Amino acid sequence: MFKAFGIVNSSERNIHVEGLQDYRAIGAFSFLGRYRVIDFPISNMTNSGIEYIQVYVKNKPRSLVEHLGTGRHYNINSKSGNLQILFSEHSGVNDIYNTDIDNYYSNLECIEAVHYPYVVIAPNYMIYTTDYSKLIDAHIESGADVTMLYHSVDNAKENHLNCHILNLNRQKGVLSIEHNHGNAKNRNIFMDTYVMSKELFISLIHKAKEISSLYTLADVINAGCRDGELDVRGISHRGYFASITDFKSYHDANMDLIDYKTATDLFHDNWPIYTRTNNSCPTHYFDTANVSNSVISNGSMIEGTVENSIVGRGCTIKKGAVIKNCVVLADCTIGENVHIENLVVDKHAKITHAKEIISPADEPGYIKRNDTL
Amino acid sequence: MKQNSMLAMILAGGRGSRLHELTNKVAKPAVGYGGKYRIVDFPLSNCANSGIDVVGVLTQYESVLLNSYVAAGGRWGLDAKDSGVYVLPPREKADAGLDVYRGTADAISQNIDFIDSQNPEYLLILSGDHIYKMNYAKMLDDHIQHKADATIAVIEVPMKEASRFGIMNTGEDDRIVEFEEKPEHPKSNLASMGIYIFNWKLLRKLLLADIKNPDSNHDFGKDIIPTLLAQDKALYAYKFKGYWKDVGTIDSLWEANMDLLSPNSELDLNDPTWKIYTEDATSLPQYICDTAVINTAFITQGCVVEGEITNSVLFTGVKVGPGAKIIDSVLMPGVVVEAGAVVQRALVAGGVVIGANARVGSKDSEHIELVSKRVKGAE
Repeated sequence: MFKAFGIVNSSERNIHVEGLQDYRAIGAFSFLGRYRVIDFPISNMTNSGIEYIQVYVKNKPRSLVEHLGTGRHYNINSKSGNLQILFSEHSGVNDIYNTDIDNYYSNLECIEAVHYPYVVIAPNYMIYTTDYSKLIDAHIESGADVTMLYHSVDNAKENHLNCHILNLNRQKGVLSIEHNHGNAKNRNIFMDTYVMSKELFISLIHKAKEISSLYTLADVINAGCRDGELDVRGISHRGYFASITDFKSYHDANMDLIDYKTATDLFHDNWPIYTRTNNSCPTHYFDTANVSNSVISNGSMIEGTVENSIVGRGCTIKKGAVIKNCVVLADCTIGENVHIENLVVDKHAKITHAKEIISPADEPGYIKRNDTL
Repeated sequence: MKQNSMLAMILAGGRGSRLHELTNKVAKPAVGYGGKYRIVDFPLSNCANSGIDVVGVLTQYESVLLNSYVAAGGRWGLDAKDSGVYVLPPREKADAGLDVYRGTADAISQNIDFIDSQNPEYLLILSGDHIYKMNYAKMLDDHIQHKADATIAVIEVPMKEASRFGIMNTGEDDRIVEFEEKPEHPKSNLASMGIYIFNWKLLRKLLLADIKNPDSNHDFGKDIIPTLLAQDKALYAYKFKGYWKDVGTIDSLWEANMDLLSPNSELDLNDPTWKIYTEDATSLPQYICDTAVINTAFITQGCVVEGEITNSVLFTGVKVGPGAKIIDSVLMPGVVVEAGAVVQRALVAGGVVIGANARVGSKDSEHIELVSKRVKGAE
């Protein structure tokens, strides 16, 4: 029997992706046409042998719940495994109370009922692949109280701005956790991924509640680091990593992975990323189609030009249409001779009357869900 | 929920030997089609979409893959309570030794116990090797309205090709008066599609008699239908309009794939009201790289295209290297075409590697070239 259960946590209040997040949690965002962001943490877990998974949701759960379903498509054993979707019944008084701790606290019964000694916690808004079973082994071997996964970057001034960073000593001990304020290039970005014993996890939930109603799990661990009460260690992650913390980072992460070489840093043959099937047929490219450097999903009909873009499932791209540097979500229609650049086009949108929508490359634009232009 | 009292039986035991190496290891119904499907997905999806809850699949030749494939009835939504796909290979029974299915009718006869256990009023007999979309519930309505003993689906074929088919000659109100197997001088162009609805009680009686008849071929077309006509039973033709293709040869399998590329293809696989379901492949979306050129193609997930694709169908996980040219061809799952190779008018079997700068197939060949072994690269 495996040692750990998994928790997929939702993003904190300081993270907001304009437009898209009005309709769904970041975990339910379409990613690279075919996937949802949450497919990555859940597939990481099931590939690592974790089959008991709790997904915490806060607001706008419809899209996420629909996508997760029974979890069968994630290769979770239908008898011994479990995919739980847990809400926090928060009061509408003030959103500041809706921390991850609050969410765990209101579902404490479900956490206590799990019979695995360790927990792996991962966020629903970061894209990476990693083998959690190795992380758990390293955690147990080191004797640390908490193990945290981080990614060293040299572009922290402009990127990962709402993430946490880890200050480490030479032995990879975590000295403190703070917010990335963008004042240094080289940072260890915390990937919001923890391993600890279930016992410690539950005691940290209680402790956080005692200290402050606004405390998050990162806050209470940070307090433990500073007071020397907790032995917290960092483990460095290699491979592709992206955090989706605002609109631009969502657009950029999609754009990154158009490059097949970059994609091979994320996707590995023995590490499938599962998603829910939509039963769409292959994509039909017509004789007028002109497609290059793009990632295309099934079920689309392409008669126009697509360059350096991502096209979601079931899109129709008419004759003479030009799409450049765009992320087009599922079921969109781009009409005849419509020219669009640097856009994220949300699901079911139809652009037929507006013939040219071009946003600046460093400031991609957003077309609303279900919109007709 | 019980939707109707019709049980479907799919005849999927054939080898399809005219598909040569493609059916060396798998039965014909498991052969790939249209980028991501297997042929048997069509009758199974049609059953699911027609509200049929229980489907028996009669397998025989190289059935291991086919058995496990169709047994996962959830793929087609055939896994609710009182619903399911039953795999029915020939098997030893308490009162009978192990015997192969000697013909289409014998395959049903050997499963009378199974059919009885489902207690259907009507039995739908289907073939597992045709590509088409059809609502069997409408055919049943027709059958009931005619108070028929049996209804046979027919499609109009060009008169000059009619002698290749089993032809139904009908009288008033589509009642079948005569059946001719591959007639030299056809009197009509209504070809049997191998799709039958029978009243189970009647068919059961005929099958029991047929088993004992030493002169019988135990075949629906050759024995059962003529017997029904001889007994003056009410047989009706159900005229089907739309795309229907028997993909019995490499040429016709290739052609059926090419049909999907036409802008006015009669077979719409994108229709949300009649989806064709298949197994779910876990793979990346399609990567169309910066060196790629695509002119008319049907491409599915997992493909990585760096070369030039013209008028071709690419199955799951096909890789086409830079400078390679794929023209009028069908590349089955996992085919790798290395840099600079040219593939023209060919059907490349799953997993085959075509080495760098190699050339396979030719522009003016009479038949489509089947490539089923690794092709070495050229200088």
